[in-house]
Amino acid sequence: MKPEHAAEIAFSLGTRFEGASGSNPEELLGAAFAGCFSMALAAALEQAGTAPKSVRTSARVTVERQGWGGSGATKAPFEIFAVELTTEVDAPGMDEGRLREIVDVTRKHCPVGKALGSVPKLSVTASLARGSPSA
Amino acid sequence: MINSKATAQWEGNLKSGRGTMKPAHASDVPFSLGTRFEGQTGSNPEEVIGAALAGCFSMALSVGLEQAGAQPKNIRTSATVSLDKDGPGFAIKAIALETEVEASGIDAQKFEAVAQETKKQCPVSKALASVPSLTLKATLK
Repeated sequence: MKPEHAAEIAFSLGTRFEGASGSNPEELLGAAFAGCFSMALAAALEQAGTAPKSVRTSARVTVERQGWGGSGATKAPFEIFAVELTTEVDAPGMDEGRLREIVDVTRKHCPVGKALGSVPKLSVTASLARGSPSA
Repeated sequence: MINSKATAQWEGNLKSGRGTMKPAHASDVPFSLGTRFEGQTGSNPEEVIGAALAGCFSMALSVGLEQAGAQPKNIRTSATVSLDKDGPGFAIKAIALETEVEASGIDAQKFEAVAQETKKQCPVSKALASVPSLTLKATLK
């Protein structure tokens, strides 16, 4: 796989479905959503009157096996069942309650979040980084 | 159940800040407001989602062709992801896939059917089912 302005990323059946070390399309999907969300959250925190220092997000993408499809069918046996984000925000002046409200809105408005609206489980868990005052 | 991981971060505010995306087993992919929305050279989340879909589709098509009795040699897929205004923000309105395939043991009609079915079934396609337009142009060389 190769994003036009990034390095080539190799993958195989092993790195995708059999636990071999390496990347796969789901890692890229998680990176895209985490990137989109982090940028959108920084913008939303600014609009809420704070000066965000950093938004750090990790993504976990879960693929479930659905059984090996039908005879000769091209039915895919795998489904992306969950994309879960965990984000840590350093934004002086922000408190946990407001952060949660802003996160809920942001997750629905970021373009990649909207595109992934069909994934059964999409979630974001947000917290303030240590050092941020939690009023 | 298989878990894949990635991280991303954004440092600073929207206009002068900088972002990085990192699939767990790939290099950092930097991006900014400029590379995402203002035409500057560089990557962005839409490129990365396009790469994910093109990769997923190519792998699934090799399986589909094999199941259809063909011998796939080479599958090259490009993705164009279109971001457009959507109310106060932006949305991914369209993703256009183009694939060029070298394979023996299959005719053009069957190939087209397998390719279009694969577009509907690959896991990343299904995850992106909320995108209004997902098209595929498939060519058998």
